[in-house]
Amino acid sequence: MAAMFNQLRHARGRDAAERLRSLADEELMQLVYRSDANAFEVIYDRHADAAFSLAHRMCAQRALAEDVVQEAFLSLWRSRARYDRRRGSVRTWVLGIVHNRAIDSLRRRTVRDRGVVHEEGIEERLVAPERTDAEFARREEAREIRNALEQLPGEQSRVIELAYFGGMTHTQIAAMLDMPVGTVKGRMRLGLAKMRMVLGDPAEVVQ
Amino acid sequence: MSASQHPPDRHGCDGNAAPYVLGALEEPEFEAFRMHLETCAVCREEVAALQLVADVLPVVAPQLHAPDELKRRVMAEVISDAGWQPDRVPRRRARHAQAFRLARPAVLGLGAAAAAVAIVAIALLGGGTASRVRVIRAQVLAPRASASLRLNGTHAELTVKGMPQAAVGRVYEVWVKRSGAAQPTDALFNVTATGSASVTVPGSVAGVKQIMVTSEPSGGSTAPTSAPVIVASLS
Repeated sequence: MAAMFNQLRHARGRDAAERLRSLADEELMQLVYRSDANAFEVIYDRHADAAFSLAHRMCAQRALAEDVVQEAFLSLWRSRARYDRRRGSVRTWVLGIVHNRAIDSLRRRTVRDRGVVHEEGIEERLVAPERTDAEFARREEAREIRNALEQLPGEQSRVIELAYFGGMTHTQIAAMLDMPVGTVKGRMRLGLAKMRMVLGDPAEVVQ
Repeated sequence: MSASQHPPDRHGCDGNAAPYVLGALEEPEFEAFRMHLETCAVCREEVAALQLVADVLPVVAPQLHAPDELKRRVMAEVISDAGWQPDRVPRRRARHAQAFRLARPAVLGLGAAAAAVAIVAIALLGGGTASRVRVIRAQVLAPRASASLRLNGTHAELTVKGMPQAAVGRVYEVWVKRSGAAQPTDALFNVTATGSASVTVPGSVAGVKQIMVTSEPSGGSTAPTSAPVIVASLS
């Protein structure tokens, strides 16, 4: 009888986990809003790789990237009531928080600290395998966006990368490249606008 | 003048839309521009258009696998404060240890217990409404430990297995959370040498959203002094 009960319990447990994994992010967030840690775990599983990838690209150090992602997800959990689906997808929200946290982390570091320690080869060690069709499709979409960035004149892609991935302000970039702030802003705008034209609606490229 | 040298400002707003969506404004500028957006439709439109591109830039980063250890750390924090926002408990409650089965004195502390992420499973047993019994599997912080809450009408009994014993001078305490702060109960317990215990949750659990367990000084506390080690969600 006890064995039967355990089997039933485990089967129900599996069903509950499967049911959660079948829900859309926005539906999961309704459960997360009610402090459902299991729903939050599904959100984590779906977006942790992208979050870690962005943080690692920005921080260039695994330990820093981990700290950023941990802070970001905990901030997300603790501010879950602020999620508003009208403002964008959960993924965008997650990555926006990671981006802001990474910028904070980068700006806390001195200029001398920046870029001193790069962990060469970590990408090879940690590259996520293309396990599913969805991941394969996501990589194709990423390639499309990367191409759009690479097609920009170097002067435009450079300021975008320094700002977005380097966490630098436009005044820092202007000082580093020895050019007027207005020129930096103009290159950012032109570059982004051009990518927008190339990609159409970028939100449709990345599902 | 090349395209890239055109002045960014087309309408007297200083061309901050692009650095804004890229996170490249200094803090004072950021706040000022955010306020500006409330009144400038042109900038709002430009931000909306450029934000779509900024939102997809993360995929340009080499895609990596987040370390498993990172998930363990995040979920340990999440579980420990799931629904846990203790406010001040207004009054001291008299209490006495009850409803626990103790095989020997507590000798081991919880230590820095790693998280075990439990899946909440609800088993419905029995038939009619009056005799309906629910068994809820709780979230447990300690690795390899498990806990379940057996609900029979408005009464509940918590059963734990594989739990570490409370540290010397400490005891496990059961808390109930309806709305607002978690409230203490008189249910204090420790576990057997094999980590088992069964404890009745005092009173009715009608309206209770969560039942939690913390490690407290012997005699219990009126306000939690540590993060919960077990959380069972009833809703």
